[in-house]
Amino acid sequence: MSSPFHRRPRRLAALAGAATATLLLAGCGGGLLAGEDESDGTEGPIVLGMVTPLSGSSAAIGPYMENGAKLAVSEINADGGVDGRDLELIVEDGACDAKTAAAAANKLVTQEIVVSVGGYCSGATLPTLPIFNKAGVPMLIPAANSTELVDQGLDNVFLINGTGTQQADAAVAYMEKAGATKVALMDDNTSYSVDIANLTAERLKESGGPELVAQESVTAGESDYSANVNAVLKANPDFVYWTGYYQEGGLIIRQLRQAGYDGAIMVADGSVDVKLLEIAGEQNAEGILATMTQTPDTIEGAEGWISDYKEQFGAEPGPYSTQSYDAVRVAAEAIREAGTTETDAVIEALEGIDGFQLFSGPLTFTEDHTLSSGGFQILESSGGAFTLKDTLQ
Amino acid sequence: MSQLIWNGLFVGSFYALVALGYSMVYGIIKLLNFAHGDIYMLGAFAGFAMLTVAGGLATSAGFVALLVVLVLAMLVTGTAGLILERVAYRPLRGAPRLSVLITAVGASFALEYGMRLVAGPNPEVYPVRLSGTTVHVLGARITLEQLALVGIAIALMAGLQYLVMGTSTGRAMRAISMDPKASLFMGINVNRVISRTFFIGSALAGAAGVMAGAYYGKIDFLMGFIIGLKAFTAAVIGGIGNIKGAMLGGLTLGMLESFGTAWLGGEWRDVFAFAFLILFLTVRPTGILGERVTERV
Repeated sequence: MSSPFHRRPRRLAALAGAATATLLLAGCGGGLLAGEDESDGTEGPIVLGMVTPLSGSSAAIGPYMENGAKLAVSEINADGGVDGRDLELIVEDGACDAKTAAAAANKLVTQEIVVSVGGYCSGATLPTLPIFNKAGVPMLIPAANSTELVDQGLDNVFLINGTGTQQADAAVAYMEKAGATKVALMDDNTSYSVDIANLTAERLKESGGPELVAQESVTAGESDYSANVNAVLKANPDFVYWTGYYQEGGLIIRQLRQAGYDGAIMVADGSVDVKLLEIAGEQNAEGILATMTQTPDTIEGAEGWISDYKEQFGAEPGPYSTQSYDAVRVAAEAIREAGTTETDAVIEALEGIDGFQLFSGPLTFTEDHTLSSGGFQILESSGGAFTLKDTLQ
Repeated sequence: MSQLIWNGLFVGSFYALVALGYSMVYGIIKLLNFAHGDIYMLGAFAGFAMLTVAGGLATSAGFVALLVVLVLAMLVTGTAGLILERVAYRPLRGAPRLSVLITAVGASFALEYGMRLVAGPNPEVYPVRLSGTTVHVLGARITLEQLALVGIAIALMAGLQYLVMGTSTGRAMRAISMDPKASLFMGINVNRVISRTFFIGSALAGAAGVMAGAYYGKIDFLMGFIIGLKAFTAAVIGGIGNIKGAMLGGLTLGMLESFGTAWLGGEWRDVFAFAFLILFLTVRPTGILGERVTERV
């Protein structure tokens, strides 16, 4: 997608790590000087950037990601930083919107970030890929996981979250396990959502198990989905899988139930939020299934981490707190391994990571720069919260 | 089939309520008030704030509480419409039409992100929600709450029809829409009548906002954008500037969407609906009920 914000940075890879020291001057009007300075980027803090939604439809997620990353930064800095240099995190609002996110990415590039550790909505993350690529910024994407991101074939892009393919595998595995016979898929026409729906549809056609009876796209941002719900229910499904985000998800669950549907409803990871259940309404929100990567609540032995998080931010961790925390740790590990903030060296170090321990298990990147195992599991809602139902192991 | 028609009518009555404000304002001062959808959002949030403040009292009173809140929220949004007109549009009364149009877009953003500052970016869930019994009529599944909402919408539109056709304010409105200068010469207080138009149109949008909040349950600061677009489409299809046209256009658009989804699938619904908008603009730019306008030199 072309966007008015695609501007070619004046200098490319060499500058990615450079002149971080002069950032300190930026505050007193030295912003212009920053471009002039040819410092070799070996002093001052190592700056990491994050584009995450702090406004717009997915604004609830941004703080979870920001805090997760901040927790990792403060832990690493307390341990003496990376090669004696502190880490610093700059967060920009991507609003889950392609144009806003592209502008935010450009802003981060001008602030000379070394590694990007953001990316939530796939549709908004996609346009940031070429921006960071041209600027020579390696990306560790903690949440966005559309296969479209991988299909770009850019060597600076690494996905910390399980991919759409892995999520679709988990969804189909559970549908078979639960004995579903007629499956309906609903998506919201965004990159992330369509991706999972299409991949799930492919697998359903191949598997010979549950039959795919309907696939419906809705328009995000509306209130009335009764027409879509009608179209889906005409096919008489006994399992509905919603692959979009939680705002529309809540409305659709409610409207499905109001229309008399009483079969199973499963949602994808973008909908795993307590707001989904609130919007759906108490009586409709029981027993909603979800495909989700590990969250702090469902990881054994994460209690210490959760209490650290609560102590520092006075709030509960949420979806993608752990992945963002891990993204920062992986970035730090790679820079430490590379011994420099040079783009190619960092990418090489990332590719070389073997068995680095993450929340989702030991990390080794595949050739596509995705996780070798997705770690998706099935959650179920009860009493207004999601709890672990099935690890699919 | 009957279910499709009912869905279309239900959604269409929301579109119609919002479209009325668009159409009235356009009819009188030839301004496309793009902030109108955000007035709808404002109504939903005003209702939300009142219900939250009332707390348990509202929950126990249920539907009655909603009716009271509906009226209060209409007053709030009506007043907001007055202020909007006074602050953003009246100073530009003599300015080129494009300037006013851009101001309207600016006002829309100001309302959206102003609300975001006040209420935060996260969606809110209405504390009182309508959930009634279902009745089956001719094979269509209809809930009593839907009937109540459509009833309110019809009552509001009937009230408006009387106001415009049967009162002196209405006569003044119609006079201004024909010729503002001549109306001024005839002793009509043009500014006051325009203010009243904004008040009425905004109050109707606010009512739709509260109804949407109570029925669907979810409100957020960007909720007015799409419905604003749809209401504009409805107003054009019905014949912009024509009150009955706005009502008819809303219902037509609701039907088009409902049938478009059923025939072509959800991803084609908006293509179908907006293709009709283009068709109307090419074949019959004055809309279903619009009158042929002859430009006078």
